Amino acid sequence: MTFLRKLALTTALVAGLSAPVAAEDIKFGLLQDFTAVYTFVTGQYNQGQQDYLALANAEGILGEGNSVTAIVRDTGNQPQRGIEAYNRAKEEGAVLFDFLSTPVSAAILDQAQADKNVVITPAHGRGDASDGTVFPYVFPMMPTYWAQAANLIEHMKNNGGLQGKKIAIVHIDSPFGREPGPILQALSEQEGFEFQAFPYASPGNEQSAAWSEVRRYRPDYVLIWGAGGGQAVSVKTAIQNGIRPEQIHSVIWLAETDAANVGPAMKGVKRFEATAAGTDHAIIQRIQEKVIDAGKGSGDQANVGTSYYNLGVATMAVAVEAARLGLEGGQPLTGDTLKAGFEKIAGYDAEGLMPAVTYTAEDHQGGGAGRVSEWDGEKWVPVSDWHAAYPDLIRQVIEKSAAEYKAGH
Amino acid sequence: MFYRLSGTYHTSYEADRKLWKIPTDRWLVVAVLLLALLAPLYVSPLYLGSYVLPWVIWSAAALSLTLLMGLAGQLHFGFAAVMAIGAYASIHLVRFGVPFELALLLSGLIAAVIGAVFGGAALRVKGLYLVMATLAMQYLVDWVVVNVPAISGGAHATLRTPAVSFLFMPVESLAARYWLALGWAVLLTVFFMNVKRTSFGRALVAIRDKDFAAAVIGVDPFKTKLMAFFTSSFMGGVTGAILAFCFYRAVTPEQFGFNVSIQLVAMVLVGGLGSVIGSWLGAGFVLLAPIFLTNLVSGLAAAGWVPVSQNFLSHLPLMIYGAMIIGFLLLEPLGLAKIYDNIRKYFLVWPFRHARS
Repeated sequence: MTFLRKLALTTALVAGLSAPVAAEDIKFGLLQDFTAVYTFVTGQYNQGQQDYLALANAEGILGEGNSVTAIVRDTGNQPQRGIEAYNRAKEEGAVLFDFLSTPVSAAILDQAQADKNVVITPAHGRGDASDGTVFPYVFPMMPTYWAQAANLIEHMKNNGGLQGKKIAIVHIDSPFGREPGPILQALSEQEGFEFQAFPYASPGNEQSAAWSEVRRYRPDYVLIWGAGGGQAVSVKTAIQNGIRPEQIHSVIWLAETDAANVGPAMKGVKRFEATAAGTDHAIIQRIQEKVIDAGKGSGDQANVGTSYYNLGVATMAVAVEAARLGLEGGQPLTGDTLKAGFEKIAGYDAEGLMPAVTYTAEDHQGGGAGRVSEWDGEKWVPVSDWHAAYPDLIRQVIEKSAAEYKAGH
Repeated sequence: MFYRLSGTYHTSYEADRKLWKIPTDRWLVVAVLLLALLAPLYVSPLYLGSYVLPWVIWSAAALSLTLLMGLAGQLHFGFAAVMAIGAYASIHLVRFGVPFELALLLSGLIAAVIGAVFGGAALRVKGLYLVMATLAMQYLVDWVVVNVPAISGGAHATLRTPAVSFLFMPVESLAARYWLALGWAVLLTVFFMNVKRTSFGRALVAIRDKDFAAAVIGVDPFKTKLMAFFTSSFMGGVTGAILAFCFYRAVTPEQFGFNVSIQLVAMVLVGGLGSVIGSWLGAGFVLLAPIFLTNLVSGLAAAGWVPVSQNFLSHLPLMIYGAMIIGFLLLEPLGLAKIYDNIRKYFLVWPFRHARS
């Protein structure tokens, strides 16, 4: 308590010494793909983001007079539309951007770095952007695909062991689908398992060919690495090919909608999660009370508490926390102060919605902690604790890739 | 009145073969060119960088495609792949140490050779079957780019363009990138207008109208079709390189996906097949209309005029856009170029009614 009181006093003192800052309307550019490829997540995700910003304004989290506004635009996953939306939002004064689209993020990354604007890339984009020394203004914020793969592998290790086992990785044939490759390679040597990759063509509406190969391979565990409609197809086709649901482990992109599409057979399937699902969390409860019940919600009430909705809430909870810390110095919020705000976040867990994250100037991933949860027929039930798996290995991969980027690739 | 003549009457063959038969048209083009050249001085960076620059580059792409589809009548549904070849070739060449000017030409040549190889299918098949063959090219190129890390640039499949200069002008500032792109688009425009007046251009048109009839009058379909694919792919390849260096500056496979090919076909069709002004108008429409509509609808929503969910709000511009395309095509099946032509003809003899063109 004394610490808190001291903190409050110092803050008051610092605030009192510096010139009084006029009330600020902070703008976040949520320029996402609502109409093309990422539609499976964007609706719920963006709804969570907007609802949390409404909550932050209702509760005055950013301090007296300050508010935060979202600039929401559809980019249709097209880089040239993303560039337009970015330039426009930049002119309107946005300091933080979330594109939720790998191609759009890739096209804007360099420009945003040059403009010193913060880009958050939760659960998408370059994993090596976690290296804050090379990407000072990019914050992946949440476990990269590499950390997700490591987390799932560790879960297999703790529940059945890995020595001499066979893992099939069934993935969409795209750069995203290939991301876990290097991690599996490194871990297979370390843990003594063998693995084989089975790609299927994008978008993955038809995967029979890949799965009959998997059946012949007789894997002990299966990793599925896709997104959107292809995920439900993966689970269904796997079960048709004699894989038990308990063997299936998925990347973060497997949610309630997919479970509904698969049906009762889904019970037992596991996935990685970076944020908790469900409405049983302090923040979600307050959103329900102060935003949804007050009629200020931004979408269908039924989405509240879904995996992607909560993911969106968590991203904005962290971003608002960073903005709050960034404003503490008494300066107006710019890309630089916001970046500094992010790097002041230590042990923040959005009141239990997500694992505690700490960002430093080097680590923009925030530790990379997540957990594995299992579909019990109605909801996702966590089957492991929040933790980061093989953090040293992940960090090595991040630094290696970031160094290559720095060298000009 | 506006054009200061009451129709076009030629008294010599020279006058009839002029590019711009009416002086007013020529002055109009000069004025537009001047305005375009000076754009960096009076257009804000937002509009120059996110509207004018991509419009210029995509117009060049549409011109390249309309040479093949409009003049030679060969359908191509994988043109983004041709641009991808140009973009990746130019980046790798520049990284290898080749000067940028030369890399542009070489990337065009590489795209032209690969494009002509796939164009070989056109020697046997026509129409929808050719669409399938070019679609195969799209998917093959996509697959190769994604699956060969040496091309796509490693784990994240993003290649950044190195810093280059074009004829001692560093291609770095927005204005420099815009001028380079504009220069290329103007060059293509001039080429396209003139190619229609050459024997090659006339051979293309003959092939388009009936290839065996063309063979009867002495046009070699084999050579002409291959040349059409070669020329068009060369233009597309260089345009792809310009797109990479002047606009995106970081290349990923998604920038040249199937949907981009379809967009290019839409540009050519909405603009008007085989028309220069149609390529410019079509590229502008397909590229910029969704952006304008999105901003318009978002603005209306912010003012509280459209009380609908975010999801519906995002789809609303697409619905309007779709309706606009159908509307334009119903109103004038020959595309935006024909609409422009109608307006021009109306003013040619205004206040009278009928014009002979």
